[in-house]
Amino acid sequence: MEEQAPQASAPPAVELRAISKDFGSNRALDNVDLRIGNGEVVGLVGQNGSGKSTLVKILSGVYAPEPGGRLFVGGEEVPLPLAPGQASEIGLSFVYQNLALAPGLTVLENLTLGQRITGGVRSWAPINWMSEHRRAAAVLGRYQVKLDLDQRTGELAPVDQARLAIVRAAEDLRRYRTRSGYKHSVLVLDEPTVFLPEEEVERLFDLIRTVVAEGAAVLFISHDLVAVRSITDRVVVLRDGRIVAEVPAGEIEEQALVDLIVGTAARPGGSAAAEEARPVEVTLAPAGPDGAEDAPGPGPGQNVAVGNLSAGRLKDLSFEISAGEILGVAGLIGSGAEDLPYLLFGAHPAISGTLRLGSGTLDIAGLTPQRSVRQRMALVPADRQLLGLAERLTLWENIVMLVEDEHYRGGVFHRGELVQLAREAVERFEIRPPQTHGVTATFSGGNQQKALLAKWLIAGPRLLLLHEPTQGVDVGARRDIYRFVKSAATLNQTAVLWVTTDFGELAEVCDRVIVLSEGRTVATLTGDELSDDAITAAALRQIRETR
Amino acid sequence: MSASPGAPAPVETGGRHERSAERDRPSSVWRLGLQRYAILIVFAILVVAFGIATPSTFLSIGNLSNILGSQAVLFILVMAVLLPTIMGDFVDLSLGSSLGLSAMVLAVLNVQHGTNVALACLAGIGAALVVGLVNVFFVVYFDNDPFIVTLGTMTIVQGIIYIVSGNNSVGIVSTNLSNWVFTNEFLSIPLEFYYGLAIFLVVWYVLSFTPVGQKALVIGQSREVARLTGIRVDRQRSWAFILAAGIAGIAGIAYAATNGTVDPTAGSALILPAFAAVFLGATAVKPGRINALGALIAVYFLATGTAGFELLGAQSYYQQIFYGAALVVAITIPKVTRERIFKRRRAA
Repeated sequence: MEEQAPQASAPPAVELRAISKDFGSNRALDNVDLRIGNGEVVGLVGQNGSGKSTLVKILSGVYAPEPGGRLFVGGEEVPLPLAPGQASEIGLSFVYQNLALAPGLTVLENLTLGQRITGGVRSWAPINWMSEHRRAAAVLGRYQVKLDLDQRTGELAPVDQARLAIVRAAEDLRRYRTRSGYKHSVLVLDEPTVFLPEEEVERLFDLIRTVVAEGAAVLFISHDLVAVRSITDRVVVLRDGRIVAEVPAGEIEEQALVDLIVGTAARPGGSAAAEEARPVEVTLAPAGPDGAEDAPGPGPGQNVAVGNLSAGRLKDLSFEISAGEILGVAGLIGSGAEDLPYLLFGAHPAISGTLRLGSGTLDIAGLTPQRSVRQRMALVPADRQLLGLAERLTLWENIVMLVEDEHYRGGVFHRGELVQLAREAVERFEIRPPQTHGVTATFSGGNQQKALLAKWLIAGPRLLLLHEPTQGVDVGARRDIYRFVKSAATLNQTAVLWVTTDFGELAEVCDRVIVLSEGRTVATLTGDELSDDAITAAALRQIRETR
Repeated sequence: MSASPGAPAPVETGGRHERSAERDRPSSVWRLGLQRYAILIVFAILVVAFGIATPSTFLSIGNLSNILGSQAVLFILVMAVLLPTIMGDFVDLSLGSSLGLSAMVLAVLNVQHGTNVALACLAGIGAALVVGLVNVFFVVYFDNDPFIVTLGTMTIVQGIIYIVSGNNSVGIVSTNLSNWVFTNEFLSIPLEFYYGLAIFLVVWYVLSFTPVGQKALVIGQSREVARLTGIRVDRQRSWAFILAAGIAGIAGIAYAATNGTVDPTAGSALILPAFAAVFLGATAVKPGRINALGALIAVYFLATGTAGFELLGAQSYYQQIFYGAALVVAITIPKVTRERIFKRRRAA
């Protein structure tokens, strides 16, 4: 404590020193120091995979850092790693993007029950709802938040849900300060603004300012650079697990911040492409490295065009995918990119839009998965366990699911043919162990993902929609999946739509990438422009411009 | 049994079982076989034991005829219960009431109004189909929990049965019908057994040997996967409810013909044994999967046990204990053996 006395009169609310974290051979955090002073709002920015969430997870006790990392709270050292739940006992409180509210409970219940469960009140003590009601009203009043305490939380507007979650966390901190007599406490907000419309973000900021005025410090993690600049005092930039800059928020231009986030290597070429509306003519030819040699040009009737798609966050979106092309769709959380595969497949309802598939044109609003399957479209959803594979069925039953009708002839179901088909697929897609009769749940994530890909590819799709196809997949399987999708695009002239937040992956596999922000295409990148940094820069820049 | 559509209880045992099948071949083949035929083995042991204990009565044609014939109504109802259950719509509770309604409509029309017996039968089955349609409307169309909806429709239909019958037993239905269902025999077994067998063969063929059956399995195991694979989930579920109600209606006709008089509580005593047979059947033949052949074996396994104990002098209501115990033991045994094998392997 003594050694930091010259730095500040009061010790910082939280100080992390020399925090590193390795995942296997991959260093996610490298010797990170971070100080958050009392009453300070610190922004933490960085691209996907830069280590932001790893840092938060070390603070919340999910991960243990490598030995040597130290944590000081209010000037006192707390041994790392934190035990689960310990964070709240040392004055740290977290609000994640999903808010962790129970939508079926009322505002009052969400506000008070958490506090009962985490302690303070004896669990067998009877609940006096009248006094709970009064206390909750007083709490909301303190933060100048007006909510109906008896309303179901799920019925609140998104911004009000976010405000409720923040009030609840801030109130935990205030109680901690009163109880312990300490001055410090830190509220960590992880992407709190992604689903909020622009005009409502300001209401959230008012609340954050109130929380700070009450005495808490705030760590604000966001991709939204406008928000970061307007609410924080100081911005910390993480890149590849290292802190590359710490600057006062008022003194840095957004462009400079983008450069810091993606690194100086980000070429201005990316921004040039971003200014163009939709350079379709450049990109109609399949430009993939593999596709170049034997691509017979776009096969007839296989080009895909999406016209004026509107649904949820997507506004009037149009784009084309040529036969055999892999089109990547990039966007930060909340951009609407993650909805696209499901909308095009008819799994989620769209408001309007057309899908031209070869010579036919479909109304996207009227699409159902059944129609999409008949149109030979394929969807590989991100949630493999719930949406992709029937985990308790055997591998072969999953793989042949789409083609089994073809093997029912004259009242006889030719199961042997199907098993043979699946066996060949297991061979071709290199699924390990090659046990066609094994229960699907017993295979590793990567092999399940290959099976899911096999299921759709043996049906010979014209349009393949992929959402996070390598999520939870090991490196080897990831390479295999890239290879399978590329060969499907090249050999079968399948049009591929690839949606992921892993921009490096898009840069590697896609012929062309469109960047979405606020539901619109804001940049198109092709050929040499494609890089992780360029895509990130385009995505970040657009948030700035639309705000 | 769970009311939630996503978590079919008996499925889990087989899933885990086949999981170990992947790791270790020789012992797992043996164990899979053991589990697959466990009921048949116990069945055989029961037959031998009862045969030794009461050779003159248990091993008689009369007893065989009794076992096969007396369970025909339950057997038909089991085929009805099978259909929604296999698609993950766990428990259509109203099927027992559909059986009762069908039987009562037949009896009231035939006995009190003198309607032609064939017409009365059709009216009975029709009434059951209406119950099925109501279930479809509320469960599939409005996406409600089938347990809760069918609990409601079961109660409503039971009330209607009381109203229609004036809370009295109604009889005696046309002996013509009784002759064609119960009294006439082929190979010393009442004809209704063959009717049940015919229904079984159709259900078994469709579920096991057609893409429709395979799709039903996918729907039952993972409804969202089925939907995103382009399977007409709601249409198949609807057909399951309607056909199940129709088959329950046929079971009602068989009930009325077998008993002569129809009691207002007819179906409610049968529905739980029917579920017991379906879930017990899920531990046999294709362990972990609800299947028609397993259900067939389970029904007659339970019937044999009951008949044997009766011959030994036990009261007929002991069959309830036998039913319940068989079900609980059957789904527990695979887990017990797994634990034991695990320990032995560790020791080695």
